[in-house]
Amino acid sequence: MASKKQTSGKGVDPIMADSAQEPAPPLDGIRVVDVGTFIAGPYSASILAEFGAEVFKVEHPIAGDPLRRFGTPTKRADSSLAWLSEARNKKSVTIDLRMPVGAELFRKLVSKCDVLVENFRPGTLEKWGLGWETLRKANPGLVMLRVTGYGQTGPYRDRPGFAHIAHAVGGLSYLAGFPGQTPVVPGSTPLGDYMSGLYGAIGVLLALRQKAKTGVGQMIDIGIYEAVFRQLDEIASVYSMFGKVREREGAGTVIACPHGHFRTKDEKWVAIACTTDKMFARLVEDAMGRPELAATNLYGTKAKRLANRQDVDSIVGSWTMSHNRDDVMDMCNKADVPIGQINSIADIFADPHFRARGDLVPVNVPEVGEVVVPGVFPKLSRTPGRIRHLGPRLGDSTDEVLSRLLGLTAEELKQMHESRVI
Amino acid sequence: MTDTENAKRDLPLSGMLVVDVATFIASPYAAAILGEFGAEVIKVEHPVGGDPCRNFGTSTRTPDLSLAWLSEARNKKSVTIDLRSKDGAELFRQLCLKADVVCENFRPGTLEKWGLGFDVLQKDNPGLVMLRVSGYGQDGPYRDRPGFARIAHAVGGLSYLAGMPKDTPVTPGSTTLGDYMSGLYGAIGVLIALHEKQKSGLGQYIDVALYESVFRLTDELAPAYAMYGTVRERHGPHVKSAVPLGHFRTKDDRWVAFACTTDKLFERLCQAMGRPELASSGLYGVQAQRLEARHEVNQVVAAWAGSLNRDDILERCIAAGAPCGPLNTIADVFADRQFHARANLLAKETPALEGEVVMVPNVMPRLSETPGRIDSLGPTLGQHTDHVLGTVLGLSPEQIRDLHERKVV
Repeated sequence: MASKKQTSGKGVDPIMADSAQEPAPPLDGIRVVDVGTFIAGPYSASILAEFGAEVFKVEHPIAGDPLRRFGTPTKRADSSLAWLSEARNKKSVTIDLRMPVGAELFRKLVSKCDVLVENFRPGTLEKWGLGWETLRKANPGLVMLRVTGYGQTGPYRDRPGFAHIAHAVGGLSYLAGFPGQTPVVPGSTPLGDYMSGLYGAIGVLLALRQKAKTGVGQMIDIGIYEAVFRQLDEIASVYSMFGKVREREGAGTVIACPHGHFRTKDEKWVAIACTTDKMFARLVEDAMGRPELAATNLYGTKAKRLANRQDVDSIVGSWTMSHNRDDVMDMCNKADVPIGQINSIADIFADPHFRARGDLVPVNVPEVGEVVVPGVFPKLSRTPGRIRHLGPRLGDSTDEVLSRLLGLTAEELKQMHESRVI
Repeated sequence: MTDTENAKRDLPLSGMLVVDVATFIASPYAAAILGEFGAEVIKVEHPVGGDPCRNFGTSTRTPDLSLAWLSEARNKKSVTIDLRSKDGAELFRQLCLKADVVCENFRPGTLEKWGLGFDVLQKDNPGLVMLRVSGYGQDGPYRDRPGFARIAHAVGGLSYLAGMPKDTPVTPGSTTLGDYMSGLYGAIGVLIALHEKQKSGLGQYIDVALYESVFRLTDELAPAYAMYGTVRERHGPHVKSAVPLGHFRTKDDRWVAFACTTDKLFERLCQAMGRPELASSGLYGVQAQRLEARHEVNQVVAAWAGSLNRDDILERCIAAGAPCGPLNTIADVFADRQFHARANLLAKETPALEGEVVMVPNVMPRLSETPGRIDSLGPTLGQHTDHVLGTVLGLSPEQIRDLHERKVV
C-alpha cells in the first residue's frame, strides 16, 4: 500500500522523525475536516491526526479558532500554548462559513473527506445550509461528530455549553470538596472537554468501521454533560435503588480507608489507597512499623476502619507528617502499599517515570522555540502515534488544500482571498 | 435468530470476539464499550470470587452482583478459568486463539509468568489486538508498583489542582475517574489497531497507563511550566484565568456554576443580575479589570446568587444567555428534564435480582444509525462457562465436567 508520509522537517523534533521501515500509520488516507473550536470536538480530531489522518482545521479567516488566544500566549501572535499543543498535526484552512461562497466551498471540501468534526451550538450549521442532512446528501459515507454542551436534542440544547458548566450538570462538581463546604473545580476546568473528545474519537472510529462494511456514514451526537455523567461509577444505580445521594468526601472516600491524601514533613503530599485489609496490614506492619494496628479488634478489618475513619486517617497522617515525602514513598513502595506523590507540574518534570515513558515531548516551533507537550496516548506497540508538528499558523495550508482537493486555480484563490472568503 | 441477535448483527463490531480478563473498571470499561457496539465480550474470571468489581461499592440482594458490577459488566458473558493452573492457562490460550481482542490489567509481567504474554498469544494469533492497562504502563521505573485511579490522579497531576488554595488537595470529584479515562483511551487504541489490522492483517498491543490518561487531560499545564516555569496551584471553586468562573451558593443552600470566559458572557450575566452598569468598561466590563478586581467581582456575584433560590437564578441566566448550570446532586440528575429527554438513564430489569429494575448510565457515545445497546447487565459468576467452552472451543460435556471437577473452570 502506498505510503504518503510527510517528511517536512519544519518544526519537527528529530526524535519524532520517521524511519523508513515503519508501516503506514493506522489512519493513513483518512481525511478529517475539523471546524470545531476550543478543545471538546477538536481533541477527537487531534487523536485521529496523531494516528495518521490528514486533518484540515477550518477556521474563520480573521479570528481563527479562539483556542489560539486561550491561556498562555507565546511569541507567535496567533498561537497560545494550548493551541500549539492541541492543534498538533493539523493543517489550517481559512473559510468564512457565513458567506454563501464560503459555505459552498466548505460543502465541497466536506464531500472530499471522511469525517467532519464540529461543535457549534445546535442549529448553527443548519442556518448556513450545512446541516447533517445536506452534507450527507453530498457525501453518503460522511461521518459527522457533533459535540455540544447538551447534545443536539432535549430542552437545554440551545443553552451555551462549557466544560465548567457540564461538570456541574453532569454531577461531578457537586462531589469535589469537603463535606458541607464549597464544591471546588474537580482539578481542571476543561476536563469534560477532553472526556467528550475521547468519546468523540470512539464514535468516529466505530462509525468508520461500520462505513467500511456498508459504505454509509452517520452522525455522532455528544453532550459534554453526558461524557462527564458516564464516568460516575455506581452513583445512579445506588440512588435509584436505595435513594442514597452521594456527597462530597473531601480527600477520602466512604468506601475504603485509609484512602486519601496525606501531608508529609516537608510540606508535600502523598495519595494512599488501601482498598483491602491486606494492603492496610502491609502499610502498618511493613511501612509504619506498627503491626498492632492491623489486629482484628483494632483496625484490621475494613468495617472497623470505616467506622473509625477519622482515627485511622489521623494515625496515618501523623506518620506521614513525621517523614519527608521521598522517605514515605520509599517505605510504602518497599511494602507494596499503593502510594503516589501528589505531583505538581514541577514534580512531573522531575519524575523519572515520565521521562522513561516519553510522556513529555519537546517540539521546536518556528518563531516560538521549544515547546514541551504531552505525548501521544494511547501507546500502540507496532504503529505508535506521532507528533509531526504543533498547531499551525492561521491559514498555513489554505491554498495548498483548496487547490489539491478542490482544484481551485491560483486566480480563483487570489480572488477569494481578496473578498475575504478565505 | 432472536430480535436481539438480529439487531446485533448490524452493529459496527458485530461478529467480533473480545476476551476481557481484566478486573475493576479501567480495562473492562474498554471492553464494555466494544460490547455496547456489538462485540461478543467474554469476561474471564477466577472460579472463586471472580472479578473483585463484583463486590466493589454497594451490594444488592444477590451476592457477587454489586451495582457497579451490574452496570459496568453490561452485555458481558462470564466464563470462569483459573489461569494459575496449567490446564486453565492452556484453555485461555485456546480462547485467545479465537479472539480478535484481549483486554487485561494485571501488573506487568503477570501474564508472562503464566506463559500468556503478548508474544506467546500473538504467535498463536498474529492478528490479535491486546489492550494492557496498568497503573504505570508496561515499562519505566514504576512499572511494578500497584496502580489505582486515586494514585493515578495524584501522579498525573490532577489531584494537586483540586481543592482550596494551600489546603488539603481533595478527590477530583470521583475516585474512579482515571479508570474511566483509561478505558476510553483503551477503546480508542483497540479501534485504531483494528482499523490498521484491516490493512496489514497484523495485531499489536496497546499500553495504557492510568497516570498517563490523567496527565493527557491537563491542557497547557506542561507547556506553560516548560516555557515560563509556571506551577499551577489549587484555586478552589474558581480558576485563575477568568472571572466570574466558579461555584456560588444560592439562597436555598444549593449551588450554581457560572462560566464567564469572555466580556460578552459577563455582560449577559450582569443583565441577568439586573445590574448592566457592572459591565461598563469603566467598571468590570473588561476581563483584565475583572481579574484585577477578582475578589470584588466574585463578591458581587456571590451576593446576588445568595439572594435568590437556585431555580430563579437559572431561569434569569438562561433568559439572558449567561452560561450557568446547577451543581446537580444525583437526585437532581434524576429530576432533570435534559437527562430524561436524552435517555441518559436506562432502566433494566435484572433476572438475577428477581426482575428488580436497576438504573444505569446509558451508552456513550450516541451514534445515529447504529446506536449501541445494553442487552443485559453484569452476569452471575460463571453463567456462560459451559456454553462458551462448548460453542467457542468445541469441548464436549464430559470434558467440561472434568474441568469443573478439577476446579480449572
